[in-house]
Order: sequence, then C-alpha cells, then structure tokens
Amino acid sequence: MSTSGDYKQQHLIKMANQIAHSMPTRDDIAGQISAHMRQFWPSEMQQTLRQIASENPDLLSEDVHNALQSL
Amino acid sequence: MNMVQQFDPAQVDYSQDLGTPGAESDVMVTVRIDGMPVSVPEGTSVMRAAAMVGANIPKLCATDNLNAFGSCRLCLVEIEGRPGTPASCTTPCAEGMSVHTQTPRLDKLRKGVMELYISDHPLDCLTCPANGDCELQDMAGAVGLRDVRYGTEGENHLDRGKDESNPYFTFDSSKCIVCSRCVRACSEVQGTFALTIAGRGFGSQVSPSEQQPFLDSECVSCGACVQACPTATLQEKSVIDLGVPSRKVKTTCAYCGVGCSFTAELRGDEVVRMVPDKQGGANEGHSCVKGRFAWGYAQHQDRVTTPMVRDSIEDEWRPVEWDEAINFAADRLNAIKSKHGVDAIGGITSSRCTNEEVYVVQKMVRAAFGTNNIDTCARVCHSPTGYGLKQTFGTSAGTQDFSSVEQADAILVIGANPTDAHPVFGSRMKRRLREGADLIVIDPRSIDLVRSPHIRAEHHLQLMPGTNVAVLNAISHVVATEGLMDDDFVYERCNKTSFNAWVDFISLPENSPEALADITGVDAETVRAAARAYATAGNGAIYYGLGVTEHSQGSTMVMAMANLAMATGNIGRLGVGVNPLRGQNNVQGSCDMGSFPHEFVGYRHVSDDTVREQFSSVWGVTLREDPGMRIPNMLDSAVSGDFKGIYIQGEDIAQSDPNTNHVAEALKAMECVIVQDLFLNETSHFAHVFLPGTSFLEKDGTFTNAERRINRVRPVMTSRTGLSEWEATCALSEAMGYPMPYESASEIMDEIAQLTPTFAGVSFDLLDKLGSVQWPCNEQAPEGTPIMHKDAFVRGEGQFMTTPYVPTDERSTRKFPLLLTTGRILSQYNVGAQTRRTDNVVWHAEDVLDIHEADAEARGVKDGDWIEITSRAGQTRMRARISDDIPAGVVYTTFHHPVSGTNVITTDNSDWATNCPEYKVTAVEIRPSSEQRA
Ligand code: SF4
Ligand code: SF4
Ligand code: SF4
Ligand code: FES
Repeated sequence: MSTSGDYKQQHLIKMANQIAHSMPTRDDIAGQISAHMRQFWPSEMQQTLRQIASENPDLLSEDVHNALQSL
Repeated sequence: MNMVQQFDPAQVDYSQDLGTPGAESDVMVTVRIDGMPVSVPEGTSVMRAAAMVGANIPKLCATDNLNAFGSCRLCLVEIEGRPGTPASCTTPCAEGMSVHTQTPRLDKLRKGVMELYISDHPLDCLTCPANGDCELQDMAGAVGLRDVRYGTEGENHLDRGKDESNPYFTFDSSKCIVCSRCVRACSEVQGTFALTIAGRGFGSQVSPSEQQPFLDSECVSCGACVQACPTATLQEKSVIDLGVPSRKVKTTCAYCGVGCSFTAELRGDEVVRMVPDKQGGANEGHSCVKGRFAWGYAQHQDRVTTPMVRDSIEDEWRPVEWDEAINFAADRLNAIKSKHGVDAIGGITSSRCTNEEVYVVQKMVRAAFGTNNIDTCARVCHSPTGYGLKQTFGTSAGTQDFSSVEQADAILVIGANPTDAHPVFGSRMKRRLREGADLIVIDPRSIDLVRSPHIRAEHHLQLMPGTNVAVLNAISHVVATEGLMDDDFVYERCNKTSFNAWVDFISLPENSPEALADITGVDAETVRAAARAYATAGNGAIYYGLGVTEHSQGSTMVMAMANLAMATGNIGRLGVGVNPLRGQNNVQGSCDMGSFPHEFVGYRHVSDDTVREQFSSVWGVTLREDPGMRIPNMLDSAVSGDFKGIYIQGEDIAQSDPNTNHVAEALKAMECVIVQDLFLNETSHFAHVFLPGTSFLEKDGTFTNAERRINRVRPVMTSRTGLSEWEATCALSEAMGYPMPYESASEIMDEIAQLTPTFAGVSFDLLDKLGSVQWPCNEQAPEGTPIMHKDAFVRGEGQFMTTPYVPTDERSTRKFPLLLTTGRILSQYNVGAQTRRTDNVVWHAEDVLDIHEADAEARGVKDGDWIEITSRAGQTRMRARISDDIPAGVVYTTFHHPVSGTNVITTDNSDWATNCPEYKVTAVEIRPSSEQRA
C-alpha cells in the first residue's frame, strides 16, 4: 500500500464523501455534514479538507463543498 | 415450652444452596417448619422454605439452580394430616401446612437411603480430591450414618474407568450416584443437552452424547455439570492437582461483555477454581469455558512482569526498573511535544482494562499530554452503537438488563452469535426460546441458534454480507405498510416530524422486501413473516453484535433497529429493547469513561463550555475544546509524519485493527510507542517502551458489562509487576509534569462519580453493598436503572432517522468474487492473547476458512486443503473447511491466531459516522496453495 503522506489525504477525501453520501436523513445535507465535522473532526483535519477543496475540488462531492462553506 | 422463633426474610442467606429454585408469585403462603412459621411465595418447595429458616433437610439430587427431580428420596419429611413421607424438594408449600423435618422415622428412612448409596461408592474419602467438599460425605454425616449393613463387596460400579479427555475436568464414573444433577444442569442451565443417563436400573450411568469421551461429545465445557455434581465424579483437575481451596474472593470475569460474577477460590495466592456467583446479576451462577476454566494465562511463562525499554525497534529489549521506564517514556513524549506540538502524541485505551484504569489514561492524555487525541479499541467494535443509539434514544447504551429476555416473546438476533461469543447470555436466551419465544435470526451464517437441541429459528434471514440496512428497511416497510405499528407509543413518546418523515421514506416501494430481495438474497415472504412475528408477538426484543456495527453502514443500521423498536413500541419495559452484545468485558465502560476523542466521561462533548470548565476545575488544567483524532486518523498522520508518539493500553492494534500492513507502517514511523500489556504482543514489535500490565486476577476496580452493570473486580493476588496499571499511568503522567496522586482505585471512582451525572451515586461501598449496579445510578435512581427509557427517552422524544441503504464500496468483483466475513468461536477470545495461552487450544488450534461446497469445488479446493486468500489489501493462507453454514458466495473465518493474518486482508473501509472498520465484508478470491503459511 501507499507509503506517502497522501494516505492521510486519500482517507480524508473518502471519509468526507462517504459522510455526505451516507448521512441518513437527507435534508440539509450540507448543514448535517458540517455539524458532523464540527462534532468529530479535529480542526487540523478540517483545515486539510479545506486545502484539498481548493487545490483539488473535483475530488470532493458537491455536498462536501457546500458543507465547507458553513464550517 | 417450645419457643417459636420469628422468621426474618432479611436474614436468609441466599448464597447457600436452598435446594430448589425460588418461585415467582404475588400470593404468599405461610407454613410451619418444625414449628417456625415462614411465609413464602406460592409454589415454593417445602425444602426451600425449610432452608430459608435454617432447617436444612438432607438432599442429594436437589440443588437450587435446577428444577426438583425427586429421585434420591433423602429429603423426606412428615407433614401433619398427610400420609407417608413425601419428598420435600417436590412438595410445594400450602397454606397452613405443618412440616416436621427431623423425626425418628425420617432418621431411619434417610439412613437406609444413604446406606444404599454408600455401599456402591468407593470408600476412599481420605484420598479423594473432593474430601471436605463432597455432598455425599456431608449427607452421610448429616443423617448420622455409622455403618453400612450391606458391606461394599456386593455388585457395584467401582471398577468403571475414568474419562480424562476434557482438559479441565475428569469424569470418574465409579463415584457416580446417578442423581442426574449433571444431566439437568447441561440441559436446564447450559442448554446443550450433551449428557444423558444411559442404561436402566442398576446399569444406568451418565453418558456424554453417544457414550463418547467428553472431549469428542457435544459438551462445550461450560462446567455447569461439574459445579452441580455432589460427588467427585465430575471434578475440576485443578482441585485434584492443588487440593480443596481455603479462601474466597468475589470478582468479575475479564473476557466478554456478559461480565459474569465469580468467586475465585484459592489456596494461598494460587487460584484453585473459579465458581460462578449465584448472586451475580449478569450470570446468576452460570459461566462458560473461558471464565470458569481459562484463567491460566495469568501465570503463563510468556507473561512479562518487568518494564523494558529500547532506543530503536531494531534493538533488543532492556529490562529496567519502573522509574527508568517511566522517565524514558516521559522524556520521549515531552521531547516530541516540544518539537512537534501536543497533537503529535496521543493514546488508546483498552476495553480489557478497568474503568479506573481507562479513566486515568484518558485523563493523562487530555491533561498531561494536552490533547484530545484519545481513542479506544471500542472504535473497532461498537462505536456505531454509541452513535446510533445516542441519535435516536439519547444515550449510548443498551436498553435492558439480561434477565429481560425472560419476558421476550419474539427475539430478533442480528449479526450476533450469543452461544459462542456471549455464552452465558446465550444460555439464558435459549431457555426462553425453549419456553416458546419466537426466534428470528438475521445472519449470513447458520449460527448455532438457527438449529440446536430443542431450538429452531422460525425465521432465518440469510442475507448477503453488507446488506443489513436493506433487510431492516424491508422489515420496517412491512411493519409500516401492514398496519403493525404501535401508534399510541409513537404518539406519546416520539418526535412526530421525524416519525412522519420516516414513515414516508420506509413506505416507499423501493424499501419493500420484494424490491430488495435481489440485493439482500432473502426472499420477500421470509422477510414479511419475520416482520410480522417481531411486530405482533407482544414483547419484541432485538439483540445484536458486531455483525451490525462492523460495516460501512454500521451506525445507520443501529438507527434502523432503533426505528423499528420505536415504531412497534418495543422500548421502555421488560422483554423488549435494543441490546448490543458487547464484545470485550469493558467495552461499555471504556466508552463511558471518556475514551472518545470528542467526549469527556459520560458522553459529554468537549466543546460544551460548562462541562469542560467543570473538568478543568477538578483537574486543575486548561482543556482543549476541539475533538482529537480517532485511531485511524492517528495512524494516517503517523504515516504522513505528523504523529509521533502513542500510549497503547492493553490493545494489540497490529493484530486486531484492519489492514495490518498500514498499521505496521504507521507504528514504524513513530518515535515513541508505549505498550502496556501482559504479553509482548504483535504491536510491541514496534514499541520502544513496554510497561507490564496486570491480569484481572490482580486488578482492583470495576468493569461495566453490556447491560450497563458496574461490577467489582477485586484483586485475588498481589500484582506480579509490583504496580497496578493505574499506578503506572499516574507515574507517567507525573513524570510528564501532571501529577495524579490517587491513593486507591476507589478514589478514582469517587472522582468519576463527582464528574459524571449518570455515575453520581456509584462508589465501591455501594457496589460492595449491592453486588453491582446498572447506571444511571444517582439521586433519581439510587440503586441503578435496569431498564432505560421507561417513561420518556433520555433525549426527550424518540427520534426517527431515515435510513437509506447505501451499498458498501467493498463489493464482489470478477477479481474478488467471494465475500469474506469474520467472527469468533466459543473457546477462543478475540486475538487469542489469553485463550491461546490456556488449554482452550484443544478446541481451536488454528483459524480455518469456511467455504461452501460449490465455491470450493469450482476452485478445486478440498476439505483441509491449504488455500491462499487474497483481497485488495493483502494476502494470507489458512486451511479450508467445507461448510454448509454459509451460503455460496460467502466465506467465513475467525481471527484468534496471529499467524492466520486475517487482518492482513481486511480493508480500510469503515463506518461512515464512526470509522468502525468494515471487518464483516471483504471481497476476496481464494485458490489452492502449495505453501502452508503466509
Ligand atoms: S461441561 Fe457444560 S456442556 Fe459439557 S456436559 Fe457439562 S454442562 Fe454440558
Ligand atoms: S456425575 Fe455427579 S451429578 Fe452426574 S449423576 Fe453422577 S453424581 Fe450426579
Ligand atoms: S460468558 Fe463471558 S463473562 Fe461470562 S464466563 Fe464466559 S467469557 Fe466470562
Ligand atoms: S433431594 Fe429430594 S428427592 Fe433428592
């Protein structure tokens, strides 16, 4: 498997998209994702995700982008 | 004149054998036993009533965890106005009855009975291992037998051989009095039905299965028969080797989440046997093979009892004094902290350790390390339970006590295998099933419960791994669309908006059993029948295990079950509920104790200012308000070079966590790995500091079981390492600059109670007084809370969540066409660190891969062949076993032996909400292997 720091980023991307995709109650997804991240993610992980969103926007789903707006 | 003493119910000693089980009735009857009046519930036997007032009637075939049998005729009594001498064990008390337990006539009859027994019994009492611990011997004394008129030379059974096949007990048939207690224990208590009385009359004898040795029979070595046997016929080998015990300490099993109470019986500092405690709230006198027999690991030669350090993981370990190890660890962690910041270090707590040990580790991480990077091994098992039940009910715990199952009418078992993984609860459930409760099993495998003696699952939903949510949605669809909901309950107790949204969602045609059958592999009629059975039974109870949580939709599934229970009104009373069967002994406790990176003790978020200030003021330190990293995030950060040091309490992440190669890479990248454990485990290969841990036999503290029951763990021997685990943790904290000067474990519990509303009333004194207590335990519930959400949900209104089925990414493909799922077996425990170091290995010397005949044939694999298993994460080898317990397309294995490398092949997929790994679904391919081991 990977030996680079990319691993962390790959996992963050996967986690964020999976949360967006799996959030059970489907209204205000962006609000729910940002609430979830505030509740469970260290600020460093949130920052890394922001960085990914600006450098590689295609890797994150639209819901994740929307969530980052309100995070 | 005969003084009539007064009967005081509070004075009854329930720890003694009262002869027959208690009766449940609101109607009381009063009888006189040798003149003394006693009031007992209707249905109570004369024998029990007599024992309650201290008039112990001689008995052999009766014992109070078995129904009366009436075969030995030793317990005869005289009852005024009744002819003859009835057996007191089978005679129920009736109002006004006057009983005589000691008369010349009875003495004579009892002596005669004893004479017959003794004439066919070896007279080797002085050299018998049960000497001093034998009811036959006691009864001979009690009836005053002095000589045997028939001699012992007549026809007898004295030359019958001994069966020593079981590693833990012997069966010496020559000593058997055919009282049938063992047979009844095996059927009534354990529910295995391994024993019968073979033959008739004088030739009758106890026989395992078809006259097989115990080891080859269906016996699961629970030891209930050994405990029930009044003679030395069934006898623990440890008693034969070490002698009859001389002192006792009450404590709690440290294996599974059932949390059985035991009396450790010792000679000096040496354990002779563990006897399950009749008054134990979780087990009521029963146990399984692990708790009763598999404690030898505590003294195993592999145990490391000296601290060790090394500069690099290439170096040899250097045994050192505690001070040196602690300072070495503190210096390294402090160095990392000042160079890379506080978030470059963290810790993991263990569900094997006591609440007090876990509490001090998370406190050290938050207060001394200065970070919220604290997580627990519960991350990899039941974290979705915490999340899902908190969202829906408002609290991260199961709703019932174990005895609630005795009132269940339909039992839904999902992704759990209680007879193997939670055996004592499994026996309890089986008893209820034999009484007629309906059983619905949702599992890809035909677990033992699906078909076992006198039990059959009316409904087995043999789904494809990964489709739990689809099946549960289909069940709820039936409930919602066939009018099977409890509208009153929902109206009074639940949030209407969320309920309406849920009904709209669940009623969609796409959630019907018919629409989902292709995905789940379960035909629609089977789902419909199961849904009706659960919803209409009266009391529907859900029990689930890791087959629910260890999925990418683990949290969603927990919420789906909560929805179903709320919609059918199956919450808040006896016989119902949503009940996680916790894997390890203290999963519940380690979660309660603030082991999650976002929560303080009692599940309160670190960002809550009021709560944080309360902790800050008691701990005297400023605390962080943002969550820390979870285990997988810490490991990822280690690989990327940002995370450098970790304290790992009693967990072997290099074996138990998924994708072993990634874990190894992360551990290798760190500058300070501290392992606190009993043995040099797989993780310790990557460690710089090894702090020797203590076994449960040395611990002083508490464990909290799956029913929120806080049980005392008492030290039965002195610590082999010189320190308690919490003392070692406190020493490290102090060396890092943050002293935690506790004098005792009980003082730690006092601090927990001070800071945690649900634990406010808990103290060691209370536990010593009550035996155990189920949290919440506080002013509102001073003796604890067996059933939760009785009048209202903890969160106020029950919250429904819509639960769309989202297939996992881990799907079978052309390259990896089979789905691997994992589980455990009875005799082994998790990664096997303990059980592999006991005689339990006779039952499971290696992990094997179960494969359906069709899949095996298609690949040219025969039973017993070595095979290679490949997933996208890695590869391993083990032996194949052809099995019809699983459907085609699914393979199954256990993970008890590190050489099997099961987690080399599991992937890093995880639950969307909690990152609990998806152990239960891995797409694999297998092929015959010419080599044997990976
Ligand atoms: S040990 Fe348990 S399973 Fe085995 S025969 Fe005895 S009671 Fe039955
Ligand atoms: S083995 Fe023990 S319990 Fe079983 S019938 Fe014989 S004496 Fe009774
Ligand atoms: S059921 Fe669990 S707690 Fe009870 S004895 Fe067995 S392993 Fe121990
Ligand atoms: S104890 Fe009553 S008949 Fe045996």
